[in-house]
Amino acid sequence: MAALIPNVLQMKAEFLQATWETIYMTFFSALISAVLGLLFGVLLVVTQPGGLLEDRLTYSVLDKVVNLLRSIPFIILLAVISPLTNFLIGTTVGTTAALVPLIFGIFPFYARQVQNALLDVDRGVVEAAESMGSSPMAIIFRVYLKEGLGDIVRVSIVTVISLIGLTTMAGAIGSGGLGDIAISIGYARFENDITFVAMIIILIMVFAVQIIGDWIAKKVDHH
Amino acid sequence: MATATNIIDLKDISVTFKTHDQTVAAVQDVDLTVEKGDIYGIIGYSGAGKSTLVRVINLLQKPTTGSVTVSGQDLQTLKPVELRQARKKVSMIFQHFNLMAARTVLGNVEYPLLGSRMSKADRRAKAARLLKLVGLAEYADTYPSQLSGGQKQRVAIARALASDPEVLISDEATSALDPKTTKSILNLLKRLNAELGVTIVLITHEMQVIKSICHNVAVMDAGRIIERGRVSRVFTQPQTALSRDFVETSTNVKEAIERIGSTVSIANFASNQELMYFNFVGQSTKEGVLSKLSKEFGIDVNILFANIDQIDGENVGVMIAILTGDIEGFNTAVTQWKDRGVTTQILTDANLKGGEL
Repeated sequence: MAALIPNVLQMKAEFLQATWETIYMTFFSALISAVLGLLFGVLLVVTQPGGLLEDRLTYSVLDKVVNLLRSIPFIILLAVISPLTNFLIGTTVGTTAALVPLIFGIFPFYARQVQNALLDVDRGVVEAAESMGSSPMAIIFRVYLKEGLGDIVRVSIVTVISLIGLTTMAGAIGSGGLGDIAISIGYARFENDITFVAMIIILIMVFAVQIIGDWIAKKVDHH
Repeated sequence: MATATNIIDLKDISVTFKTHDQTVAAVQDVDLTVEKGDIYGIIGYSGAGKSTLVRVINLLQKPTTGSVTVSGQDLQTLKPVELRQARKKVSMIFQHFNLMAARTVLGNVEYPLLGSRMSKADRRAKAARLLKLVGLAEYADTYPSQLSGGQKQRVAIARALASDPEVLISDEATSALDPKTTKSILNLLKRLNAELGVTIVLITHEMQVIKSICHNVAVMDAGRIIERGRVSRVFTQPQTALSRDFVETSTNVKEAIERIGSTVSIANFASNQELMYFNFVGQSTKEGVLSKLSKEFGIDVNILFANIDQIDGENVGVMIAILTGDIEGFNTAVTQWKDRGVTTQILTDANLKGGEL
């Protein structure tokens, strides 16, 4: 062991902390992005032309915001957004500060995925609910989100996995986490075993998310 | 005819859809009244505007012009909340069932009751009772994806009944089902009409469906109702080419004429022979008109095609036969039976070639 990963063994505490930092960043940015993404996704579906609460202005504004944010490369977004981060968090460095660019980097992606998942909900079922006198709110919660739940879980897995990838990039602005260790220690000091182990830990996280997500999707899907 | 017994009263309904460069008139100047307790059929080919028209009844489709009165309520004057309340009294079933895949069968039937003041236990009890009514009590906890088409439609019917509707709209509800299942679903609708008194408006492209359960029928073409009346009347005396087309398709007369045309040549007939088409309505099907007259005039009857249906409680029959003998005397005699429901027509080569009467 000592021969294989000598540097890692000397940095056990740092690895443990970095792992927690990655989990922290992933968890909290996922939580807030989930709320924003679901909100945007639902709004995009119901305000679209022919939708339940058709509203062309709202739809086109949301659509453009999502497109714009998705077009900015994440590494640039990290830098560009720092004034906002400073305003919201009070600093631009550190794990919590990294949440701001992470959220803006991932929620538009998630919103688009949620939108697609909800568009797959059978239009006929929505019409049936309307014919039964359901209100728009009832249709959003009892039809769109309930019927689309399986797909929403699936796109959530994809999103969380992408998000884990983004947290490693946030190392570039001093966020900490496994990406930071892999690059600023492992890569910079030519301690390849550190980079390698960081990657392995990330892979384990990704597989865990995939397995748990698939299990949940299977539970909720009755198609 | 806006009497108190009319549960549905549509006046001057037009629906136009605007796309980028054209406007499509889906429904044009339609008046439609349906009496309480009726089973009213609307028949037409796809694109005739049937689906659009029935969606006006619960305002899923807002008409461009015209007024919509259901149960004496002018739906267009209602606030959104009141309209949703009114919609609970006009249930709908669909060609593709439109069940919720994420809910159990019981959950689907329970759906219309969510958000009402009913307790959960009451909701489930009512849903279970309705499932029993449609014969699916043992499927309560399964998911729709595990059911056959006919069973799915039964669940949809149970769901439609959960809000105690006064009107049930059936939008091609049997079009995706096989003939046997179609029959059982139609029988169920008939039973619900009789037992619960729910008024049924159904749209279809099959005359067979109209024939099996409807009392009244409207024939739609290009957004307009071109003919309407009692089913037995439209069946025996269709006034328009389209109605005749629907009737002949459903009685197989069309096929019969085509078949006869390929095997029989009128040019080879003897002078005392004719190919004749008979139409019997009501009592005449029970009396031995033909045997009586053929004896009297010494006519030989060679039957090539015959079909008797029961439509809205009346017997309706058609027959095509080659008659040999004293045709003139027979014809004179048979015209006297006209007011008793027998009509005849001598078929010519033109009829056979055109495949139409």
